[in-house]
Amino acid sequence: MKILLTGAGGFVGKRILERLLERGQTDVRCMLRDTSKGTALQAIAAVHPAAQVELIAANLKNPSDIAAALDGVGLVIHAAAAMKGSPAEMFLDSVVASRNLLDGIVALDPARRPRVVLISSFGAMGVAPLGRGAMLDENTPMEAHAELRDVYSYAKLRQEQMFWDYHRRFGFEFVVLRPGVIYGPGGGHFSNRVGLSMFGIFVHMGGNNLIPLTYVDNCADAIAIAALSPQANGQIYNVVDDDLPTSREYLRLYKQQVKPIRSVSVPYWLLLWGSKQVERYNTKSKGQLPAVFTPYKTKTTWGGNRFTNAKLKALGWKPLVGTREGLRRAFEAFKSEPAKAP
Amino acid sequence: MKVLRIGIVGCGKIADGHAEIIKFLDGAELVAVCDREPLLAEQLAVRFGVPNFYSDLDEMLAKERLDVVHITTPPAVHLPITRQCAAAGANVFLEKPLAFDAAEGRQIIQTIIDAGLQMTVDYWPNFDPPAMEFKRLLASGVIGDPVHIESFIGYDLAGPYGQALMADGGHWVHKLPGKLFQNMMDHIFNRIVPLLPNVEPEVHAFAFKRRESVRGDDSDTMLDELRVYLRGGNVSAFGSLCSHARPVANTLKVYGTKDTIEVDFSNRTVILAASQKYPSSLGRLVPPFQSAARYFAQARNNVLAFRRHQSQYFAGMATLLELFYAGIRDGSGPPIAYDEIIRVMDVMDSIIQQVYPGGVPVEAGR
Repeated sequence: MKILLTGAGGFVGKRILERLLERGQTDVRCMLRDTSKGTALQAIAAVHPAAQVELIAANLKNPSDIAAALDGVGLVIHAAAAMKGSPAEMFLDSVVASRNLLDGIVALDPARRPRVVLISSFGAMGVAPLGRGAMLDENTPMEAHAELRDVYSYAKLRQEQMFWDYHRRFGFEFVVLRPGVIYGPGGGHFSNRVGLSMFGIFVHMGGNNLIPLTYVDNCADAIAIAALSPQANGQIYNVVDDDLPTSREYLRLYKQQVKPIRSVSVPYWLLLWGSKQVERYNTKSKGQLPAVFTPYKTKTTWGGNRFTNAKLKALGWKPLVGTREGLRRAFEAFKSEPAKAP
Repeated sequence: MKVLRIGIVGCGKIADGHAEIIKFLDGAELVAVCDREPLLAEQLAVRFGVPNFYSDLDEMLAKERLDVVHITTPPAVHLPITRQCAAAGANVFLEKPLAFDAAEGRQIIQTIIDAGLQMTVDYWPNFDPPAMEFKRLLASGVIGDPVHIESFIGYDLAGPYGQALMADGGHWVHKLPGKLFQNMMDHIFNRIVPLLPNVEPEVHAFAFKRRESVRGDDSDTMLDELRVYLRGGNVSAFGSLCSHARPVANTLKVYGTKDTIEVDFSNRTVILAASQKYPSSLGRLVPPFQSAARYFAQARNNVLAFRRHQSQYFAGMATLLELFYAGIRDGSGPPIAYDEIIRVMDVMDSIIQQVYPGGVPVEAGR
């Protein structure tokens, strides 16, 4: 079976290719915007000389690029997504690009339509009404007001809604994975769930919340397993590792193992109160300062939840790398990336 | 005050800035947005709580009975969209650059005049607090008559706007006859042209590319450093677009017959030059204190403006829109003279013909 992997050059995309090949897949078409950036993919492919790994340059914003990419494909793993840019750019790269991909898929003869696997996000889940400490699982309702959170969450939610809509209308096989915070060498040093760097100091906002980490290899393996499991059709899988650290523990370990950074902790009640003031000031001052904090954003990002990976484990997944070891590897790599430190 | 019904067509990056300003303006309501890509129209409407969104401009115009349409599309479609809006009786507020060239700019303006409507172009920095203060000082006569003008715009190719065009050889900016320069030059020459006598100026331009080639596409052939000398009557000027100097500056300096003034749009300062009024070396000790006092007074004014909530990032756009909307309500006319817009575009055409003759970049010194 030929597999099309979009976003193959990304942080997770590379690891997905590796896990697919490790799990015996022999025919993967990797989609990148610029194949000159495919060196890491070629290195992974070189470890599996029996496998056919094809790199193709395509931009999902161009519908004309898509038909050739889908030719002969039995499985699409859609990992391409915008991580930065203006709201319009992020929407173009995540949502419009996905719509173009879906239009390409449903234009195929129904018998030749591939199974589709979407890498969504925890941001698609509606946590604001649940209250602090609520357990998040695959039955958690979708976010009702992602536009009030952040553009990334909004784009990911709209993307997932669109995939479900096409799945219902056209009936192709479909699987959703919702990773938590993907971390590892090459990834970001801090999730916003831990805190933000502001004016030269790291403001720790996560308190004792659990951080829903998933080591990049574990996440990629979960994607490969779900993508290849017949019983995953029509299912959602949240992806988080075991033994999750609290935000405070993560920050403490970072300071010990990467570099000492200046930080100040803000308790949740103060954060919530401050968010209300920021939102009020934004309105009163006619946008003189942006509403970077609002009560809604604070509730969804720093309210704190519990997480389960039971459904994923029932599919046969277990973490390849324990959290302690994953953090050690990530922090070791972070030491050589001072520019990415807060 | 009549509440104007506002629409936006073109829901890309800059549309956010317009929606953010309109949200806080008295006497205006953003009632609909439109983009030929319905998902882009949807995201802008949802994020800003706009009641309706469309992917068909004619449908929006027919259903919404708009007083003003903000045209935030790339300039290639400004003229046809202006014609559609004019036919529907809507005034238009256009993003810069207004058009591919001055001839097309004239057609846009004539379309609006013929329909008995009003238009203006988003020269918002010229309505920012420092620009308004500069205009006040100029009108007061303290500078005297302009003798020489220097207008400088920095550009960050690695910034949010720069990245968008550097990463995409097919970006609409690369399709403009003057490429990056055309997208930014309004902000250089719309400050110079109003200070020149109303005669056709002499324009001498040269440009070059300072960065290394990377991709081998249109993002590589684009020139990134522009220098222009102008002379109109007894006033001369020097305009620069500079993509590599840091910090990324945005300044206007006017040397007048009575005094010299420097406007810093980024730092929001408007400072008259200090001068030596006392003799000998002792006299040279005074001007730095004079400058310091002027900067201190400016800092205090900026703090007061912040307290009065007059320091928004796009404060100039808010002021420009208030003037434009007021002109529509009372029929008093647009805030920027059409003749001035055309004169700016004529200068831009002349520069583009010199640095991209026939669409081909000509590098100075090569």
